[in-house]
Amino acid sequence: MWFETAKLAWRAISRNMLRSFLTVLGVVIGVAAVIAMVTIGNGTTAKVRDELSRLGTNTLFVRPGQWGPGRASAEAKRFTDNDITAIRDQVSGLRAVAPINRGTATVIAGGANRSTSVIGTTSDYLIAQDWELALGRDFLPNEDRGSQAACIIGETTRRELFGAADPVGQSIRVSNVSCPVIGVLAVKGQSGMGDDQDDTVIMPLKLHQRRIGGTTTISSIVLSAQDGVSTAKVQADVESLLRERRRIAIGRDDDFSVNDMSQIAAAMTGTTMLLTGLLGAVAAVSLLVGGIGIMNIMLVSVTERTREIGIRLAIGALENQVLTQFLVEAVMLSIFGGVTGIITGLALAYGVVIFLEVPFVASPTIILLAFLFSAAIGMIFGYFPARRAAQLNPIDALRHE
Amino acid sequence: MTAPLIAFKQVSKVYGRGEATIRALDKIDLTIAQGEFVSIMGPSGSGKSTAMNIIGGLDLPSSGEYIFQGIPTSGFSRAQLTLLRRHMLGFVFQGFNLLARTSAVENVELPLVYRGMSHAERRGRAMAALEQVGLRGREGHTTQELSGGQQQRVAIARAIVTDPAVLLADEPTGNLDTKTSIEIMDLITRLNRENGITVIMVTHEEDIAAYARRLLRFVDGHLVSDETQVKEASHVV
Repeated sequence: MWFETAKLAWRAISRNMLRSFLTVLGVVIGVAAVIAMVTIGNGTTAKVRDELSRLGTNTLFVRPGQWGPGRASAEAKRFTDNDITAIRDQVSGLRAVAPINRGTATVIAGGANRSTSVIGTTSDYLIAQDWELALGRDFLPNEDRGSQAACIIGETTRRELFGAADPVGQSIRVSNVSCPVIGVLAVKGQSGMGDDQDDTVIMPLKLHQRRIGGTTTISSIVLSAQDGVSTAKVQADVESLLRERRRIAIGRDDDFSVNDMSQIAAAMTGTTMLLTGLLGAVAAVSLLVGGIGIMNIMLVSVTERTREIGIRLAIGALENQVLTQFLVEAVMLSIFGGVTGIITGLALAYGVVIFLEVPFVASPTIILLAFLFSAAIGMIFGYFPARRAAQLNPIDALRHE
Repeated sequence: MTAPLIAFKQVSKVYGRGEATIRALDKIDLTIAQGEFVSIMGPSGSGKSTAMNIIGGLDLPSSGEYIFQGIPTSGFSRAQLTLLRRHMLGFVFQGFNLLARTSAVENVELPLVYRGMSHAERRGRAMAALEQVGLRGREGHTTQELSGGQQQRVAIARAIVTDPAVLLADEPTGNLDTKTSIEIMDLITRLNRENGITVIMVTHEEDIAAYARRLLRFVDGHLVSDETQVKEASHVV
């Protein structure tokens, strides 16, 4: 009986293939949009996670203010040299503690100039970030403490300013500070956020504070725990130390944050997921419109086939059997649309993913969901026309021309 | 004594309300026994089609009782009427009413599909029915590929494939030429004689009605005559 019903439904659909296809186009577009967006979103999320995890799971970032989307950190007190010293002295299990001040400055070498991100830090920075040098050396202890000029440049900055020449020992001007190049960083590539990490100049913190930032404070700290030391323990120790030093009363929220990479990744992917959700809502509307399209064409089909329905009812088809027949037809139509949409969406996502150079991550859950959702649309929007067919009066239906 | 196959007790059918009321059937009493061949005649609007619809379980009387094999049908639900049609009745219409773009054998199988019969059993019974109506070898032809007379034969095969108690024919030769009409009537007569199927047929043609043993005439919702024709149907040409 089910096979018969399915066969009948398929016959009715295939009899008018073009019309059937146009009918389900709305569902196709809706499903394709959902599948494409989720697949692309998954790919970019996977890329972000992958790159962040490569920074190391034993790295912690300390910032003033609560960190996360939509949280202002401008009000919170920045860190001082004494905070760095205290962390280094009182928290055990640390491999590196590096202060970080960021700024942007014009860097000039010979005739070339370039606007670049300038970081003020210490030799611990490269250790904490697991960042190798391609050429030259790291900061010496006296450079870490003092404000004498010494600069390490990223590969992009080197290429733009020096071309093929060896920059080590040459001098660059960073915002009117003359600074000898002591090293060149190994290539790191794009960050998870898409900016070029090799487009940078690193200088001692004191020099940065005085000549670039015009400050004596520190905007953030990066920590690296020793291998085998629990990051959670280090995180808790740093938090309690900083609460004490910043005199935060018990029960009050921290005015700073200590996060590891996975927490930062979660916050970032949260933004991606919000975007995916919004676009998903748009796709849901197009699925709704697609469903109405199916209902419309099923109503037309019932009217066209009134006589056929009359024959079936007269020779012994129960209301339910006629209802089932039209319902199966509507569900088959919408599943046909759903499957076409899934294939189209995956193909679309595959093209975009290759273009964006992110991994192709097809989610079986969302594919199954899209399939079930399209079937449900056929069920819901096919019910009314099917019921209308089933409730026809056989005498009138047989007379219908 | 067994109950008659079909009995009308004071059956009336009224359409519309107030001034526009039409009394299509007015207190009809009627019995038809198993194995009879009955013609129903009458001008249009006489109530013959309404009587046919009620016998066929497609319509219910406004008042009175339609009793089928001793079972009163008043209060039957739509589903119960459907089951009555499915198991007891076979329909042949003036316009054949076959499914378009569907092969002869699939048309004949249709009533069996709704009974949930297996494909193989269905096919076997449908082929046997087609054989009975003389369409062996044409089972694969679609409706469009068959002549009017052949289409009506397919319709008759579809009506008898379920072994119904009653074959209801509504102007079965209305769309056919004289020669084909005779062939169809001979077929129906044979089914009545040899298979014992009760045949009830509506027609407005005297020579077609003459095939039946019993002739009912309706005028204005009344049964005005009920006569048994002495001459054998096969003598009429």
